[in-house]
Formats: sequence, structure tokens, C-alpha cells
Amino acid sequence: MKTLIKIKPKTYAAGDIVKVDFMAMHPMETGMRKNKDTGALIPAHYIDEVKFMFNDQLITKMVIWESLSVNPLMSINFKVPSAGTLKVIAKDNKGQSVETTTAINPKG
Amino acid sequence: MRRLTVCAALLSAALCGVLNAEEKMSMSDADKAMYAELLENNPAEMDVAEGEQLFGDLIGAEGYAKMLGVNEKDLAAYLAGFPRYVEPAKKVVTLSQTIQMAAATAKKPVPKLESKEMVKMTAYVKSLANGEKTSIDVKANKHMEQMLKLGQQVFEERRGGRGLSCNSCHSADIVGQRLRMQPLPDLGAKETAAAGTWPAYRMTQSQMVTLDKRFQQCMNNALLAKIPLGSREMVALEVFITNKTKGNEIQIPGLKR
Amino acid sequence: MERRSFLKGFGVAAACAVALPHVASAADEKKVVGPNEMNYETAVAAITGGKAVTPSAKVKMEAPEIAENGAVVPVKVTVTSPMTQKEYVKAIHVLASKNGNVRCANIYLTPANGEAFFGTRIKLGGTQDVVAIAEMSDGTFLSTKQNVKVTIGGCG
Ligand code: HEC
Repeated sequence: MKTLIKIKPKTYAAGDIVKVDFMAMHPMETGMRKNKDTGALIPAHYIDEVKFMFNDQLITKMVIWESLSVNPLMSINFKVPSAGTLKVIAKDNKGQSVETTTAINPKG
Repeated sequence: MRRLTVCAALLSAALCGVLNAEEKMSMSDADKAMYAELLENNPAEMDVAEGEQLFGDLIGAEGYAKMLGVNEKDLAAYLAGFPRYVEPAKKVVTLSQTIQMAAATAKKPVPKLESKEMVKMTAYVKSLANGEKTSIDVKANKHMEQMLKLGQQVFEERRGGRGLSCNSCHSADIVGQRLRMQPLPDLGAKETAAAGTWPAYRMTQSQMVTLDKRFQQCMNNALLAKIPLGSREMVALEVFITNKTKGNEIQIPGLKR
Repeated sequence: MERRSFLKGFGVAAACAVALPHVASAADEKKVVGPNEMNYETAVAAITGGKAVTPSAKVKMEAPEIAENGAVVPVKVTVTSPMTQKEYVKAIHVLASKNGNVRCANIYLTPANGEAFFGTRIKLGGTQDVVAIAEMSDGTFLSTKQNVKVTIGGCG
């Protein structure tokens, strides 16, 4: 699962509220789509949980279903307390999980 | 006038009926702005990042520039001029084809034009020219002149069961009308920026698609026999379309419906 | 030039239908029951435990009135709240009232968010209401909704 975290704006100070955009490459299969050739249902395969942590403290936990678009985007806001590491852990319903981190570097 | 021709050619009441209809079902400006915002988080950015890796493993910018015979610092401006005649190939080629040449030079397996890896690498290489203006020069040499002419021919040639050409849907006097609720795009328009925005993420397909692959998708929809990627005709078509948006800024990856 | 004919038996309409795989299937007339099938009432009850949900201007949703492509519909939800330990938004729930599984996302927030916001892109099987329910720290539930028209124009 490829992932990407973006912090907006790019420069910010401690105490600022930034936007955290998290994207993942994932098929987000609904389980309702049929294979065009065989007619068989394609099994559901979707990200079902995403956790946003700052210095290992949980900021936001998401429970997700198959209605999110393919290659989904999930954005939250975050009030930057200090420098540290933002970690996003995404897990899908087949148990595959991926951890992505990004440094939080407030200026001033 | 041309509209009548299209309808006659389509021979399909269903299609004719929807041309120009359903104006009310189209998006408001506010809706459009919301979609424009999607560009900020284009899923294809992850593909471009992977393309960078793949390309690095294959040859890297330095070796690539050397193969093309250009200074690495001039690479961006050079890339903005594709498709172009390149000496090592002795013909007019697309960016994807130069990646194939690079693989051959590096004695690595040559990626197929259809492959996912190729789409990603093409997007990455073209993104090196982001911010540059599309600078194709169709008068650069006789090869380019010939390709432009051939491209126009392919664009205007009526083919397939319905006798359609690209021009049937993309000619100046029909663009802006709607086919099945989709506005027929003016391929030369600033907003379409066709050449500078492909490879683009197609939201209807949830994947990134190259410009020549996009041509093939139109061929499919219009029931025209698909011209193979990499063929002289396909490269010519890319020359012709790219020339329509000469001067537009390159912004890869694009985001399209 | 390659003049081999690739024409198949289908018309343009059939060729268009394949352009929107994810939505086309959800809109199938014979609806297939998915693994997470849940209707709107049940889903809301699961969130609120039967408590009342009050429509409120504190919950704001941004979604297009018309989505040309039901596979990618941007949705943003903001809830007015000081986001302090004493008073904050515990969760934002997003539901697509007519999808096979109406649940899209349950977002459990904390005061560390600073602002109660969630943005995403969802699939809509057809025209329907998108609903956001905010669970406040005082135990109340506030909501808003917006109707999104999906015009499945899949040609091209
Ligand atoms: C039956 C009508 C029809 C024909 C014939 C047709 N197209 Fe298209 N084309 C469309 C429509 C409709 C769209 C826009 C679809 C959309 O918005 O997604 C489009 C989009 C495109 C685009 C993408 C423009 C952008 O947004 O950047 C390109 C490039 C293109 N066509 C090239 C061609 C070429 C080359 C041919 C001939 C091989 C061709 N088209 C034939 C209807 C047609």
C-alpha cells in the first residue's frame, strides 16, 4: 500500500492549526462489483481503520468503510503542540497494515 | 452544419438526443471549484513518486540526459518540446519511447508502452518539465513537418462503423456541446491544456493514463479501430494535439474526469 | 496504418458503461447484497444508541450539488466547537443514505485536533443525501445533510 502525508501550509508555528492530508493507493473494493469475465463477485477489500498519532499519542482514529473512493483521501486538522513525529497507521480488512511518518517542524 | 453530420454519422437517436441536452445537470461554478481542489491531493502523485524510483533504477536523470545528448541543466526545457526528433532514434519519438531507448542503452529489459511502470516513469520524466511551457516545434525539421501533416490526417480521417473521426467530436464548431452530458472538449483550449496535463489521473478510472492511451480510449468509445501505441500514426497524432496547446504550462500529473 | 477492425458487437452506450465500473455496479438494478450491507436507520441507531439527532447549523458540510462522477465525490465536514478538554467534538460520522452500506466513515476526534474537521472523497451509487452526524462531548448528536445529484455520464 503506497501512502502519502501532506501538511498544509508547509510552514507553521507551534500552536497553529494545520491540515493533515493522508492518501493511500488502495482499490477500496466494495464486494459488490462483479468480475466482467467470470461474473463472480470481487471480494470486498478496503481500508477499515486509520490512526493518526503524534509522538505516539492518538489524535484521531477513523473507522472506514468501502464507500470511500478508490485511492482514498482522509484529511483532518491538527493543532501543532511542538516538534515531533506524526505517524499514520492504515490497516485494511485483509489485515495488511502500513505505517507512514512525517516530521513536524514548527518554525518560531 | 457539422453537428448534423455528426448526428447522421452516429446513426444513433440516443446519442443525437443527448447532444446539447441536460444543460441543467452540469456542475455549478462552486461545484467545479470543489473539484479543482482535488488537484491539491492528486492520487497520481504517489504514482509519480514511484515513477521516480523506477526511473532512478533504470537510468536516472544524468544518464538519461547524456543519452539524449543534452546538458542535464537544460533537460527540463528539452523535455517540454516532446514529441521531437531525436538523433539516436533517427525519428520523431514520444517521451515514453525515450524511456524505452534509455532501458536499451542501459541494457535493461525494455518496458512495454502499455505497462503500468511506463505510465509512472513517463509521468515522472515529464514532471521534470513542470512549470515549463509546452514548446513543441513542428517546423524544426522535415521529420516534424511530416509528422504534423500525418497527425492532422489521422485526426480528420473518418473510420470505423460509424464513420467518425476525432474531428467529428473535437472540431472547432462542435466543441462545447454535450455528448452524454460530457462537454466535448476543445483540445486546443487553455482550460483543457491537453498536452501539458497528461499523464493525468482519470477519476472515472481511478488510475493515471497517458495522452496516447487517452486517444485510444476515445477510439474505443467512438468505435474506431485502435491505433497501436508507439506506431507512427499514434506519435503523429500526439504531435498534432500537442501543437494545439503549444505555450501552455506543463503540470504533471493532471487530473481529469 | 493498422486497419484491422476492433469493432465489437456493442454500441457506444455499452462502451460507456465500462468507464464507470465502481458506480455502475452499485447502481445495478438487481442490487447485490454486499458484505457490510446496512440501511440508514440501523446505521444511525448504531451511532446514537437511539438518542435524538438534531439538525444544527454548527455542523457544516461542503459537497457538490451535482457530481458528474459518482466514484469521486468530495465531502468536507466542519463542526463549530472550542475543542477543549471540557467541550469538544467526539466524533464525526459520514453516511451516504442510499448506498448499499450507508456507512462511510466514523472519525473519532480529540481536543488535539484543534478544529473539528474531516475531509474525504466518497462513492455514491446514485443521487442521494449525504449526512454528517456530530457526536458532542456532552452526549448530544447534531447533524446536517446535503443532497448530491449523480449524473452518470460515462462517455469518453
Ligand atoms: C464520439 C465523440 C468523440 C470522438 C470521435 C473522439 N472523442 Fe475525444 N473526447 C470526447 C469526449 C466527450 C471527451 C471528454 C470526456 C470527458 O470529459 O471525460 C473527449 C476527450 C478527449 C481528450 C482529453 C482532453 C482533455 O481533457 O485533456 C483527448 C486528448 C481526446 N479526446 C482526443 C481524441 C482523439 C485523438 C480522437 C480521435 C482518435 C477523439 N478524441 C475522438 C469525444 C470524442
